[in-house]
Amino acid sequence: MNCRWQMQRRKIFYRWLRIDFIYDPKKVSMLSKVLEERIYSLSILLVVVVVTASFIFPATFPTFENFSQILLNLSIDTIVAVGMMMLLISGVFDLSVGSIVAFAGCLTAYLMHFYQLPVPIAVSIGLLASLIIGWINGYLIAYQGINPMIQTLAMMGIVRGCALLVSGSGIQNLPYWFNAIGQSKLLNIQMPVWYMLITIAVFTFLCTKTIFFRRYYYIGGNEKAADLSGIRVKRMKMIAFIFSAGLAGVAGILLSSRLGAALPTMGRGLELRVITAVILGGASLSGGIGKIPGALLGAVFMGLIANIMVISRISGYWQEIILGLILIITLWADKALQKRYVST
Amino acid sequence: MQQLRLEHISKSFPGVKALDDITLEVKQGEVHAVCGENGAGKSTLMNILSGNLKPDSGTLQLNGKFIQLKNPQDAFAHGISIVHQHLSLADNLSVAENIFANQHPKTSFGLIHYADLYQQTAQVLADLKISIPPTVRVASLSQAQKQMVEIAKALAKKPHVLILDEPTAALTDTEIKVLFNILDDLKRNQVSILYISHRLSEIFKLADRVSILKDGKHQGTFTTENLTKEQLIKYMVGRDLIEVKQNSIKQSTILLEVKNLSGKKFKNISFALHRGEIIGLAGLVGAGRTEIARVLFGADAKLSGEIIKEKNQLHITHPADAIANKIAYVSEDRKQLGLFPEMSIQENMIAASLRSVTRYPLISSAKSSQHAKELSEKLNVVARSLQQKVGQLSGGNQQKVLLGKWLAVKPDVLIVDEPTNGVDVGAKQEIYRILKTLADEGMGIIVISSELPELLSLCQRILVIRKGMLVGELPVADATEENILSLAAH
Repeated sequence: MNCRWQMQRRKIFYRWLRIDFIYDPKKVSMLSKVLEERIYSLSILLVVVVVTASFIFPATFPTFENFSQILLNLSIDTIVAVGMMMLLISGVFDLSVGSIVAFAGCLTAYLMHFYQLPVPIAVSIGLLASLIIGWINGYLIAYQGINPMIQTLAMMGIVRGCALLVSGSGIQNLPYWFNAIGQSKLLNIQMPVWYMLITIAVFTFLCTKTIFFRRYYYIGGNEKAADLSGIRVKRMKMIAFIFSAGLAGVAGILLSSRLGAALPTMGRGLELRVITAVILGGASLSGGIGKIPGALLGAVFMGLIANIMVISRISGYWQEIILGLILIITLWADKALQKRYVST
Repeated sequence: MQQLRLEHISKSFPGVKALDDITLEVKQGEVHAVCGENGAGKSTLMNILSGNLKPDSGTLQLNGKFIQLKNPQDAFAHGISIVHQHLSLADNLSVAENIFANQHPKTSFGLIHYADLYQQTAQVLADLKISIPPTVRVASLSQAQKQMVEIAKALAKKPHVLILDEPTAALTDTEIKVLFNILDDLKRNQVSILYISHRLSEIFKLADRVSILKDGKHQGTFTTENLTKEQLIKYMVGRDLIEVKQNSIKQSTILLEVKNLSGKKFKNISFALHRGEIIGLAGLVGAGRTEIARVLFGADAKLSGEIIKEKNQLHITHPADAIANKIAYVSEDRKQLGLFPEMSIQENMIAASLRSVTRYPLISSAKSSQHAKELSEKLNVVARSLQQKVGQLSGGNQQKVLLGKWLAVKPDVLIVDEPTNGVDVGAKQEIYRILKTLADEGMGIIVISSELPELLSLCQRILVIRKGMLVGELPVADATEENILSLAAH
């Protein structure tokens, strides 16, 4: 009796909130479809955040300059996040990407500044170095069975040290053509944003359409079953680490080009930021799920929140606290709603 | 006198009515079997009794008193204990810590009393005639031993009502006998037992009464004395079953030859498989049958020996090599080793044959859905759509999806390991029929099974493995359950 009365009240309350459609079974299935796919639910959330912020800060928020600034700020993170998404889909992750960003940038700058190597050669060597780091990570984790967290945590320290070794306190006065990579514009949009969009597009295509990348979903879904299905899991895992390190290398070179300098502190804390963005974007630490565009959406969500807090002049200390809280609440609400409306 | 009474229990999940107005009573000191095909609602019923699920409506009575089970702890408190079909043991802990999980004996300081713990465990295990030291880690036990520990865990709580969900699926015949003796003892001590099994012969051997569920509805409760096997099956599936007929031995070309094959757990195995032939590997759990299959398939390393397929020597170091040579292995333990439970039927079906659904080098979704559709029609997979997650399917349908995944690679040699474990009678017959048809089409099939009637009705020859050695080869005409067992157990 009591229970029925409660239901009735809840129904009235939901009608007032205009979300009483959740009692309509046909619409529930649509809702459950949205909730089932993080890309949809996060997109809707992003639209809500953008519209709300535009109403609250009509002069400062919804401007072309602000949006292109937000995208520019998150372009480096997103390129790294694409690689991280691949790793998380296959059920592993890499903590050394932040250090690789610093090392690739510093090594490239070092070669150009002290050895006067031409830009393309220096960039190639910088990329090659990050691929080798990825290969070492991947080999030790996939073939020797070292835990990915321990391996990449150790590598994070080693590579950060290497970045300090080559660059000291930082290298400035980089060649014009090098700076042009990250500082020029196309269609009035900064180049790093284009690189980011290209990376997303290419990897989205690869991960949905090619056998090679499709295998990562099987590996993350059930590693043993994947191996018994003829997928060479060890080799595939090693390659995922090489890819992810390679993308981190690209991001590092891009970052130092954009800054016009290579600093050994570049990319500090980036690995955790990227993992958070990717998880927000629909990946799971247990592997098997996630889509590449989710990496972009997750990063955009975090970038938007940070931007809105800057515009509303919230103090730096509070920003970190609020960002953390928003992440927890978002993931928690998603879990709670899924539990309720998605049949398992 | 009645012990446990369920009245008008109903439970729905989105899209399914899992239980529809079930009324049952279990008397004190009786073994009450619950039968039904996979998906009939048995597991839902057990989950309600163990406090894992709350019924939408209906009541539970224990000894005439209404009870509510909000969580598993409530069920324990009322003396209801369950042995789950899928093991619920912590692999990283010792046998003793698993059996007394969360109710360790304590010292006077409130700390864990290890001496007592091990002693009590030893007592429980001795009662069950299980010879496992209490301190050994569960991870190092065989599947059958784990199952016995699971049973010990349920009994350690000294329950009034014991629920067993497919307890014999992983057990060998000797262990089954021990289990049945234990159940007889419990029955004499006035414990009520709810027993779920697919093995009908067990039900007739053990149960006093049997309740039959079909599509969530109660079909009736019968005393086993007044029921024949045929009647029972009819109630469960709603139709008569056709037994698969024996095939005569065909003489044809040799497809696969194995010479002096040795692996870590077996030695010097030699045999030949002809086109269109089904051979069986019989033996106790842990005899090395699965290991032979895994080495043939490249999942484990080969120590020595030759594998020759159609006069070509094969060098197989990884399952990918085996697949390239058209050898397929349908693994046992489909949840752990076979399927991708969070992925769709379609994605599971193409998992081993990604190359065949491409317009190179891109995956063609039209081709994959075409592919999956053909296979699921051929194998009669029952599902809402091909996009449904495999984890949501019943055991029989999961097994068919797994089989489909391997038929997609168009193998010449198909190895199936415990193909009907945890599969209901209807689906079992379908799987037998599929295997027969495949053999008739020219495939060579190796069946590994612990169910001897299954081997006897499917195979033309049966190889018996004991402790990693091939100890006998019986043409099916000479094979009986008795002579296979005497070779296997010795």
